[in-house]
Amino acid sequence: MHKPLLTILATACALALPALAHSRQVTLTAQLKNYGGDGAYLAAYVTDAKGAYVRTLWVAGGKAKYHKHLSDWSRLSAGDAKRLDGVTGASVGAGRTLKVTADLADALIDAGYEIRIDAAAENMRDSPSEVRVPLSKVNVGKPQAGQLYIQSVTFQLQ
Amino acid sequence: MSWKAIHRWLGLTIGTLAVVLGISGAVLAIDPVQLAWQAPAAPGDLPVATLVERVIRTVPGAEEIRHLPSGAIVVFSFAGDQPQASYVDPADGRVLGAWQASALPRWIKNLHRSLLLGDVGRWGAAGTALAMGVLCVSALVLLLRRMGGWRRLAARVRGSLAQRIHVVGGRVVLVVLCLTSLTALTMSASTLGLVALDTRTEPEVLSAITGKPALAGAQLDMLKSLSVRNLRKLNFPGATDLEDTWKVSTAQGQGWIDRYSGQMLAWQDATFAQRMNDLAVVLHTGEAAWPWAVLLGLVGASVLVFWLSGIVIWWQARRQAPHITGNTPLAQADVLIFVASEGGSTWGFAQTLQDALSQCGHRVHTSALEKFQTVAATRQVFVLAATYGEGQAPAHASQALAHIAQLKASDVPVTVLGFGDRQFPAFCAYAEALDQTLRAQGWPALLPLECIHQQSGQQFARWGDALAQALNKPLVLAHVPSVPPTAALTLIARQEYPGASGQATAILRFAWPSGSLRSRLGTHGLARFSAGDLVGIVPPGSAVPRYYSLASGWEDGFLEICVRQMSDGLCSTHLLGLKMGESITAFIRPNPGFALPRTRKPVLLIGAGTGVAPLAGFIRRNDRLTPMHLYFGGRHPAQDLYFGADIQRWLREGRLARLQTVFSRVPDGGGYVQDALRRDADRVRGLVAQGAIVRVCGSRAMAQGVAETLDVVLAPLHLSVSTLKAKERYAEDVF
Repeated sequence: MHKPLLTILATACALALPALAHSRQVTLTAQLKNYGGDGAYLAAYVTDAKGAYVRTLWVAGGKAKYHKHLSDWSRLSAGDAKRLDGVTGASVGAGRTLKVTADLADALIDAGYEIRIDAAAENMRDSPSEVRVPLSKVNVGKPQAGQLYIQSVTFQLQ
Repeated sequence: MSWKAIHRWLGLTIGTLAVVLGISGAVLAIDPVQLAWQAPAAPGDLPVATLVERVIRTVPGAEEIRHLPSGAIVVFSFAGDQPQASYVDPADGRVLGAWQASALPRWIKNLHRSLLLGDVGRWGAAGTALAMGVLCVSALVLLLRRMGGWRRLAARVRGSLAQRIHVVGGRVVLVVLCLTSLTALTMSASTLGLVALDTRTEPEVLSAITGKPALAGAQLDMLKSLSVRNLRKLNFPGATDLEDTWKVSTAQGQGWIDRYSGQMLAWQDATFAQRMNDLAVVLHTGEAAWPWAVLLGLVGASVLVFWLSGIVIWWQARRQAPHITGNTPLAQADVLIFVASEGGSTWGFAQTLQDALSQCGHRVHTSALEKFQTVAATRQVFVLAATYGEGQAPAHASQALAHIAQLKASDVPVTVLGFGDRQFPAFCAYAEALDQTLRAQGWPALLPLECIHQQSGQQFARWGDALAQALNKPLVLAHVPSVPPTAALTLIARQEYPGASGQATAILRFAWPSGSLRSRLGTHGLARFSAGDLVGIVPPGSAVPRYYSLASGWEDGFLEICVRQMSDGLCSTHLLGLKMGESITAFIRPNPGFALPRTRKPVLLIGAGTGVAPLAGFIRRNDRLTPMHLYFGGRHPAQDLYFGADIQRWLREGRLARLQTVFSRVPDGGGYVQDALRRDADRVRGLVAQGAIVRVCGSRAMAQGVAETLDVVLAPLHLSVSTLKAKERYAEDVF
């Protein structure tokens, strides 16, 4: 079955860490399962080695009313007033693919950081940290399975 | 803009979207009903700790327990990699089957809340809900105006079929529809981001690893004291995350519990906005109580009925909208006609008057009553005014009376002609108020106030004769009202009476035409009729229908009338000259104010001459043997005891409880029917005290005499004919 590709390009704002001059582009591709529900809310974000929030890569689903269902992201990113700036889009339908591009500092690669995705859909279960992908070169291009909503997630570095 | 205009235009435009939301809402109401059948509700006082213990036994990998608004318990878990959601029996934790949030395709819900147009559609749906709210409020204002206030809100509704459907239905569902709009707006406010339900973030809480083993759910004090009644959702701590916590959501708020100590680490009360939203959701969806969902579904579907009947009402009013031809400009006209019309039919009379006056050489200007004025050229003014509801002005002329009261009178005569229906307690009350105001201001009148009953063309023509005399002009008012679609009726039986004073009379029975399906189902023609309704008969050589009261209903399978020969009566001559098998052209005009409601109360029927016909029809169909008492006045038992044999049979069958006949032209005949009432005063009082319904049919003079007599008879009860009329217990059919 051909699955329409939902391509969303996000140009992330300058990274918050000042000392890091070099950055590279990361492309995150999340393929959703046919979970049989309305469009899923997804939040993709980066945490450090201690699990502390670093920055938000993308939030799919625009209704602030439902953002608390992305509970880990919602809690961890609470201090980041700009967490939604320029990185929001529509919710992602079952079976569809979310593709997000962002600039990440070199220093985040192979340094214990990971990309996490929280997911939720109406009347279904919230799935905080649905998938966690360590930001390491060995994981590039390697599909990681999610629990409830995400079939697989891969990321590419450029 | 008036309430009526708001209601009409909102209904015609945004009403179409409201139909979509109403129908889709009605379909969505299936869900709560179906869910209620799928799993048993948990007993409200069951401790959550016990529930957890039972669930853990049967669903070891349980991650979340939800207490649905319907009361059922759903457990979320994983079977291997497969996420599962199952109903469990709260009594023993037994898995009952898979749970699905909805059995309906998702697009129905999306149609209902966003018209399948995403965020733009959500604004559209919210706008429709707002329009629905405004429609409800304007409907209430119009309903109260139409019925004549709160106290008369439950009274019988008069009008065309579409109007009755619209008003009767509105009376029933208005409150629920209003509530539905309000709750929809409440939900939209948060979805569209106008109201934030909860701006707080969840607290950063972790279970403190102490080396002690984690507690089972059944051991947590909080869950022991919490009843299922208050539970919304319970999330188990993750199996792999040692610092994860229990999270419990209740109607009051949500809390996080340490998995080792069982301590409540944090608690957030539900916000006011959250509680209001929760309440709105329950009221709007009916998910907590399936009977409410059924009601909501019916109300949702009724939106279509309101929209359709509303369109018919609008179309009927549009068809009757004034189209005055041959209007002279105001400044040049010597005769002015001002019209106040509710349904539009009064404009037709104004056109007839204008044409007749124009033919006599007058220059006539006709316009709406609210534009009342006179200019230098004006020599005569006529006001044709209908009455709305309880003596109010028709909507468009609502300010006219106040406007006229402020004008300085001139010596131009202003003549008022009222239009109304004697069934209404305030017959022509608005025309009377206009006439009184004009006289009080000092305007002269060419003719005294005349009130036309039920758009009677004959009465209008008689007024025209008086006008012709007063103006000394050869003026003839031949008003041709628009006649509804007619059908041909065939004479199948006739019963002759010599009639009083040599005027032949006959009871004519016509076959009820099998007719096309359309004419049977339609609102015109010869659809359903009942005794007391009117049949309009258009005699050959005339376009003006004559009305006769029906002595039968459609259930009788025939149509029966009692016709007396009128001198020079075109229609009565035509009818009495009919041979068997010949047919007439006719249509039905409902007379809902006169029809008998279903009742167990006694019924007092008072008729004279051919006026007994509709009363005979009531008795004929009295299958429930309601106690009916007939006072029947004639002239001579050998001449005009209409339905005499039938009445005797109905007495034997119990359809008629008691008969009192009087004959005015027979020595010791008892006089007139009101004399019989006076003699029977005690009995009549007793019947009325029991709540009797009164129907009077006969000549104007007879009805007047009966009303005066009954006012005297009922005085000891502190009742009068007018109070009985106001309670819809007294109605007249006069000719």
